[in-house]
Amino acid sequence: MTDQGIKSRPKYQRLALDPSGRHHLLLIDGPALSSEAADAGFDIAACETWIVIRRSAVPPEPILAEAPGAIRPFRSTAHLFSALQDRLARETMGLRIYAAGTEDFLWDIHGIADQAGMSRQELRFCHVGSKARRIFCVHCRTITAGVKTSIVACSGCGASLFVRDHFSRRLAAFMGVQVDAEAPGEVPDAEEIYA
Amino acid sequence: MIADGPIPLRVHDIESLSPSLKRFSLTALHGGELPTAAPGAHIMLTLRGPDRVMKNAYSLVSPAACRDRYQIIVRHVAQSRGGSAFLHQGIRPGDVIEAAPPVNLFPLSQSARKHLLIGGGIGITPLLSYLPLLKARGARFELHQISSAEDVGVFERLLAPFAPGQEIRIHGGGRGAFDLAGILSRQPLGTHLYVCGPRPLMDAAASTAAALGWPPGKVHKESFGEAAGGLPFKAILARRGIEIDVGETQTLLEAIEATGIAAPCLCRGGACGECRLPVIEGEVEHRDDFLSAEEKAAQSAVMTCVSRARSARLVIDF
Ligand code: FES
Repeated sequence: MTDQGIKSRPKYQRLALDPSGRHHLLLIDGPALSSEAADAGFDIAACETWIVIRRSAVPPEPILAEAPGAIRPFRSTAHLFSALQDRLARETMGLRIYAAGTEDFLWDIHGIADQAGMSRQELRFCHVGSKARRIFCVHCRTITAGVKTSIVACSGCGASLFVRDHFSRRLAAFMGVQVDAEAPGEVPDAEEIYA
Repeated sequence: MIADGPIPLRVHDIESLSPSLKRFSLTALHGGELPTAAPGAHIMLTLRGPDRVMKNAYSLVSPAACRDRYQIIVRHVAQSRGGSAFLHQGIRPGDVIEAAPPVNLFPLSQSARKHLLIGGGIGITPLLSYLPLLKARGARFELHQISSAEDVGVFERLLAPFAPGQEIRIHGGGRGAFDLAGILSRQPLGTHLYVCGPRPLMDAAASTAAALGWPPGKVHKESFGEAAGGLPFKAILARRGIEIDVGETQTLLEAIEATGIAAPCLCRGGACGECRLPVIEGEVEHRDDFLSAEEKAAQSAVMTCVSRARSARLVIDF
């Protein structure tokens, strides 16, 4: 059940600096880069780093230079995403983005980078933290976030959805398919497998 | 119209654009519409000269929407490959030429946010086919055409219909006065580069882009096989047990074809990989964009459309 053998299930790697890039922007869903997210030799000083601290008390005048070594804190991921959109609109070719965080965080960044015309060759993703999934109900098109179980009630239509490994990059979500479509009411027990 | 058989074309019109450039308009011999060719496509013409048959690839400059004719622009240079000289001197309106259906190895990217086009000399031709589409789509683009001083006028005339309100520059001082690194370093994210022209220009563009952090997937090169000539050598086709002389102005592919053997090929410019043949013995002077550096070093394959032998003999498994 944990490996459904589906190819669209994204694969991630520990972050390693891409020497072919000219500028490097590191985006972390948290206050610091966890040791499991990057290679031992990952030179964080070569990157401009954006972190999400989830506090209102963002230090008054942080180092806001757009330069390697600078660290810029954000109150929330939404705060970081809107700054990223503005930043990418005025960036030049040669940028590499490195991101470490939950799948929601990574694929929201993927969407913003894709909008700006960046290709997968210019992005490096490492999945750290919660394995909880964002589930797209294929029946009512509602997204249910933070799903940890193999079966979940859709937050839109209430259907019991089986959480598939089929991942849509466009929606940045896994597909959820009604589990009792053929035999209504026959819902197996949900197991917690995406903790 | 059968899409993959050869297409007989009639030379409808030949226009002299400059002392060395001619534009040929070719229509379907039996009338009707020609197969569509997306911007960036080329056709391969079979040219039957007095002493040999030549096959040359030419980029179409006619807009993709134009189905009643194919237009190509051909440069005649002093020591040019036989085909272009033949088109300039041996072809008259009304003549019939055979073409292979259009192939596109240089398409426009669908996901680019901006298109940066760089042409060198006659390398302007595929770029000319892009412009109507880019304008019609309202796409963001920037074009730099590198030119010798005497060609500035003709390139200006060719680009004039697309110039108003656009970033189109002609650099008449040749490549020396052209700030390639400056242009490549200020392009916005999501730009794709298309470069067509002499090999040194394409190599410089590709290496400068790579040094500035452009990912390889956003750099597109269209080669012309201009540097066809070199020292003569002998090619041995091992499976057939025949020996062929490859002349100074001939490519290995042309020499094989001259014996009547059909050899694989598509772009005839060292880009597509179709003409690759295994090498058994001898040293290859690689001139293609297809093989990786490791494959080139291994000396185990040759792209017959552009590469030659560095040794006096080259034994090929063919
Ligand atoms: S024919 Fe395309 S590489 Fe030779």
